[in-house]
Amino acid sequence: MDRLPLYNIRVLDLSRVWAGPYCTRLLGDMGAEVIKIESAGSWDLLRSLSLLPGTDERVYNKSHYFNHYNRNKYGCTLDLSHAKGHELALRLVAQSDVVVENYRADVLERLGLTYDELRAVKPDIILISMPSHGLWGPDAHRIGYGTHIEQLSGLVSVSGYPDGPPQRSAISYGDPVAGATAAAATFAALLYRRATGRGQHVEVAQVEAMLSFAGDLYLEYGMTGAEPPRLANKHRSMAPHGTYRCAGDDSWVAIAVGTDAEFASLCGVIARPELARDDRFADVISRHRNQDELDAIVSEWTATLSHRDATVQLQAAGVAAMAVLTIPELVDDAHLRERGFWEEQTHREAGTWTMDGPAWRFDLTPAHIRLPAPCFAEHNDYVLRDLLGLSAEEIDALEREGVCAREPVPGQDE
Amino acid sequence: MSENGGLLSEITVLDLTEGAAGPFATKFFADYGARVIKIERPGRGDPARREGPFGAREDAGALFLYANTGKESVTLDLATNTGRLMLLELVEHADALVESWPTGALEALGLGEAALHQRNPRLIVTSVSAFGRSGPYAGYRATELTAYASGGQQSITGEADREPLMPAGRQGAFQTGMHAFGATLAGLYSVGFLEVGQNIEIATMEALASTLELYLGDYVYFHREILTKRRGNIVSSTIGIFPCADGYAGIHVMPRNFASFAQAMDAAWMTGDEKFKDQRARLINNDEMLAAVYGWAASKTRGEIYALAGEHRTTMAPVLSIGEALSNAHFRERESFRELDGLTYPGPAFRPGEGAWELRPAPRLGEHNVAVYGELLGLAKRDIVRLRAAGVI
Repeated sequence: MDRLPLYNIRVLDLSRVWAGPYCTRLLGDMGAEVIKIESAGSWDLLRSLSLLPGTDERVYNKSHYFNHYNRNKYGCTLDLSHAKGHELALRLVAQSDVVVENYRADVLERLGLTYDELRAVKPDIILISMPSHGLWGPDAHRIGYGTHIEQLSGLVSVSGYPDGPPQRSAISYGDPVAGATAAAATFAALLYRRATGRGQHVEVAQVEAMLSFAGDLYLEYGMTGAEPPRLANKHRSMAPHGTYRCAGDDSWVAIAVGTDAEFASLCGVIARPELARDDRFADVISRHRNQDELDAIVSEWTATLSHRDATVQLQAAGVAAMAVLTIPELVDDAHLRERGFWEEQTHREAGTWTMDGPAWRFDLTPAHIRLPAPCFAEHNDYVLRDLLGLSAEEIDALEREGVCAREPVPGQDE
Repeated sequence: MSENGGLLSEITVLDLTEGAAGPFATKFFADYGARVIKIERPGRGDPARREGPFGAREDAGALFLYANTGKESVTLDLATNTGRLMLLELVEHADALVESWPTGALEALGLGEAALHQRNPRLIVTSVSAFGRSGPYAGYRATELTAYASGGQQSITGEADREPLMPAGRQGAFQTGMHAFGATLAGLYSVGFLEVGQNIEIATMEALASTLELYLGDYVYFHREILTKRRGNIVSSTIGIFPCADGYAGIHVMPRNFASFAQAMDAAWMTGDEKFKDQRARLINNDEMLAAVYGWAASKTRGEIYALAGEHRTTMAPVLSIGEALSNAHFRERESFRELDGLTYPGPAFRPGEGAWELRPAPRLGEHNVAVYGELLGLAKRDIVRLRAAGVI
């Protein structure tokens, strides 16, 4: 347990919001010592998304969104735009293996923290830059959130109900896509460093990570010369294929049938064996052609059952089916419970609640939530005193000069 | 420096995956220079080969061509004793093995994790599946749709009064695959000091449930079901996809972006107005704010909106079609897309400063039998003929 995959790896985390912090959460889960840097005037905006009344004491430590994606990290304050903050940051870089940042393209240069400046103090440093549009190019100056990343890839335009507008993902999809990509990039760069002794600067343009997740759609466009159709839950060749309404409030089951044998099984389960011999549905082509009619028949059956019962009955007959699990159902799900996916965590100020544990399941070095997300400035002493060797007087002086802080300055997110 | 200059060219991966998720994971190994040997069933190969649409190549459609770039393909029937022995011999040459077989199927063939590690104690074995290898759903059949349904993302995507939606493409599989790529690399890194390999599981259900943003947090933290419902395209008065003069534009304005957004709307006065000046005021006057954004967006084209976003440094972007993304000026200048055999592929998902990325075509079925079995197993051409005659390859 004490030797997780990133045992002895230190990550300096300058990232904010979701894409970068999701990357560094994955690195933290895998055992890296992640030190998140904020400052009194420039702190992670997710701290302001607490959905608690602003009168709540130290509300910036109680945002579940921030606390969800910043577990397994330490928190320290340094004003990077201050000369002393800059100098201390470089001293930390000298003791780190990886620096992760998701600033806009021009910010590192303004802060005097370019790859060359980092390399001067730590020759084999790995710098992971994840600006939304990349470090160069006509749109490099733009700022963008994960929703924009998804929209620019074309993915949104082909998602949605066939008779409706383009449909966005509910989540800011570009963020976890870029975060997971950047985490993989970090591991790849660490392996390369082990093989060659050399660090490097990796550019993870969030928009380009996103393009990789829509790659098959670009090939399709090239092959057909047309925009891919909005299929929603339908399939190019399988039928029935969709989500079907079940008994209960907003309850749905996903069903996907490919072969004749699977269809015969489905017909048995819904007690309509004659459909497997019905001309309208007897073969793959007819089923696809008449899928709307078929969907209505399947819906009649699902409407009488809970989505769980429908799933169990269909799976027992060898048909791919799954309840569309809502978030409350997911948290209560027997499968995930048995697998130990949910972990309870206690945060010094925010309390105790349930959170997803690491989805990367290693049998020899199982990962867990070791540390709740840091309160603002929680580990100033650890970083400044223990790692950088500053005295209590020096730390006090830094606080007086505004280089470090114990409290954030409110106001940027009201 | 490594042999072919690739970022991962030190690594050899045996790829026992089919479909989308597993192949997407190993594709990245191949594109960054690792040797990836894809083991396919003789005669039929990966079923994804037969998924359309098709272009000039008849042996594989869009998904397969995309998710298998740079790999070598060998055929091998693991149901035969000879096939199993050959696989175990290949394992000695590999650093990682990634598999997506049904739960228990490899064990049943005598190719479970224990057997693989006995042959190569430093091997990383990554299992990619919809639900994982334990728990009540471990034996469930799954497709892209049913796996996606399990992870929570679908339940919140789409309109409240209609069915929950799966986005286009293979988003469940590709999220799973990217996690499997990262986790396998992490596993390989751990071998460096643990001196032994280990087994890794990546399940779509868990990968998706890890990325539920504030929608999960709000439920587990406050025990309330407000953000757990589908809310369509409009999330708040300043966050959503809005119809505009020539299509749709995405507006995502956090409190810190409001001043620049108001300027872009030519409504800087809003930042001083009691009704709109802060987040709380805008929430109270939500309908009025929403109407203002709708009205403004409808009067502008996507191009005008994106130009104003750049000029005022605020957070709006056009909803591009696939064709528009392919011809976007920023992507063109960066060569974010690359041509290969007459088709357009995305370029590198991340750009290493050192260690190359290279796009190479997906293999034909068994294209590398002679090369791989000759080079790694020392088999002569006549041996390969015998194996083929016996249906092993």
